[in-house]
Amino acid sequence: MSLALPGQVSFAQRYSALSGARVVTLLFLVVWVGLVILPLLVLFAYSFFETKTFVTIYRPSLATWMTLFESGRWEVAIRTVRIALTVTLIELVCGFPFALWLAKGCRYKSVQAAVLTLLTIPFFLDMSSRTIVWRAILGREGLINSLLLSLGITDQPMEWMLYSEFSVHFGMIAPYFPTMVLPIYLAMTFIDDDLIKASNDLGGSPLQTLLNVIIPLSLPGIIAGVVFTLGPALAAWVEPGMLGGGFVNLLSNSVESAYTALKYPVVAALSTFVILILAVLLGLLILLSRRVADLGASFKVMRS
Amino acid sequence: MASDIGIALTFPAAPAVRWGPSYWRGWPKLAKWAGYAVLALTYFPLVWLALMSISERPLSGIPFPLSLENYAALFEDRRWAEPFGVSLLLALGVGLICMIVATAVGRAIPQLRRPGGVVLLAVLPLFVPGMTMGAALFIFLRSFLGLKLGFWAIFLGHIVWALPFSLLTVLVLATKFDHRLLEAAEDLGASKWERFWDIEFPILRPGIVGAGLFGFLLSFNEVLRSIFLRGTDTTMPIWNWLMAASQQSQVPIIFALASLVLSVTLPLLAGFFWVLFVKLDRS
Repeated sequence: MSLALPGQVSFAQRYSALSGARVVTLLFLVVWVGLVILPLLVLFAYSFFETKTFVTIYRPSLATWMTLFESGRWEVAIRTVRIALTVTLIELVCGFPFALWLAKGCRYKSVQAAVLTLLTIPFFLDMSSRTIVWRAILGREGLINSLLLSLGITDQPMEWMLYSEFSVHFGMIAPYFPTMVLPIYLAMTFIDDDLIKASNDLGGSPLQTLLNVIIPLSLPGIIAGVVFTLGPALAAWVEPGMLGGGFVNLLSNSVESAYTALKYPVVAALSTFVILILAVLLGLLILLSRRVADLGASFKVMRS
Repeated sequence: MASDIGIALTFPAAPAVRWGPSYWRGWPKLAKWAGYAVLALTYFPLVWLALMSISERPLSGIPFPLSLENYAALFEDRRWAEPFGVSLLLALGVGLICMIVATAVGRAIPQLRRPGGVVLLAVLPLFVPGMTMGAALFIFLRSFLGLKLGFWAIFLGHIVWALPFSLLTVLVLATKFDHRLLEAAEDLGASKWERFWDIEFPILRPGIVGAGLFGFLLSFNEVLRSIFLRGTDTTMPIWNWLMAASQQSQVPIIFALASLVLSVTLPLLAGFFWVLFVKLDRS
């Protein structure tokens, strides 16, 4: 493995690659497989067990998977996928142009750094406290209704704004925005400005440049953005719980109730289901994007 | 490509029409302001949270009249103190471990001949939704291994969540590190430790500090995985979540507590990322 041509033996290879770096990496990988891969495999395996009278029966069967789609859960799954896809689409529509502006249109470096800072901070904020505030804004006696009433625009408080699908969608828009913008932005910073200029010089309209240059080259970023947004959206827990008010049941609610009822196989099957949906949608996306561009070529551009 | 260029060269004045909806100058502005609007949706709740925390009627739409009642209630009600302490301890531990592991692994990975697979495996948890990872660890530790959950289980869950971020932060700098510097130091007689401490560490320092900070803050605010792994322990985000989900009367206290936490973490984060992004831009 580590045989190199005589002239190419670098210090790293000669000295530490054989001992230190390899050992550290190997050690890390062993622990990491035990902490990440193994639990996911066990999760998958548990979805083929079933629970009877609070006892998990360790015999492989499809019973749990069958019950998933009875008792109204099928409806819940459809609703979850629909809401997650809608939110992801909203993020893509708002996020792609914003990332493009940030990477190629923003002239001031300080504005760029400030926006990147604003996009990164939300990863580190507590979800519940900033979600619960929307209740005080969207609620029956909340900020918006109070303003509308006192300005005389409406004479009755609007109740559809809270504890509805609207409020769940609305509450999810801000938290899932950075996960869409940042990967696309990153992919776009690798696009050489000269390519855009060349497209313009050759008479391409901005729309043609967008469709033939920018979108194909930023496709890995777009796919990463969709995965990083869609995954958490499919498993959204805090937002539907706090803004749905029990009227918008998503898969996370099913997981929560199965968890409290000690039905571990159901928890496992529902959690696996989320990953399966994600994998299927990702596969579709990659197939679809093959028609638009050669993904491998886009990665080559990024590497160079 | 070649033929395209050829055509352009034969007809230099090619499409002279530079007009149409796609040439509208408003597009970039629209993109910019739509993005700013979503950012406003992120930060307005924080402002409102702070305002509500000093309001006498925090659950209504009008924040006035103002008072410090909620803060007084917060310091009288001591139930948040224990979760707060647990979270702080967890976050310090996760930050420290992430810093050490990310540094050790981050400087090892660029020396491998084919680092791609290792990096992919290391960042895999980023692709797994928090709920799924929490459930997986829960079933693995509780049911499969039969262990008692609690502090240490949350700790492991947080490491799985935060380490990929920390590792990437170190890798950004470690991949650019020039190993000839170490070679030179060795020729000049520096010991192995001196080579690390005097040469490699100062260059990697921003990444290492970032790794620790990421670990600390990601752990301090993590809720989805903690819900599954908490056992009988409670962290502050779980406490916030429980209080917010169950009793309306507890919400004002959460507003006050969250505002206090924000007033510490926001300036810290803003300062760190500002420095990081300005620096990255220069390099």
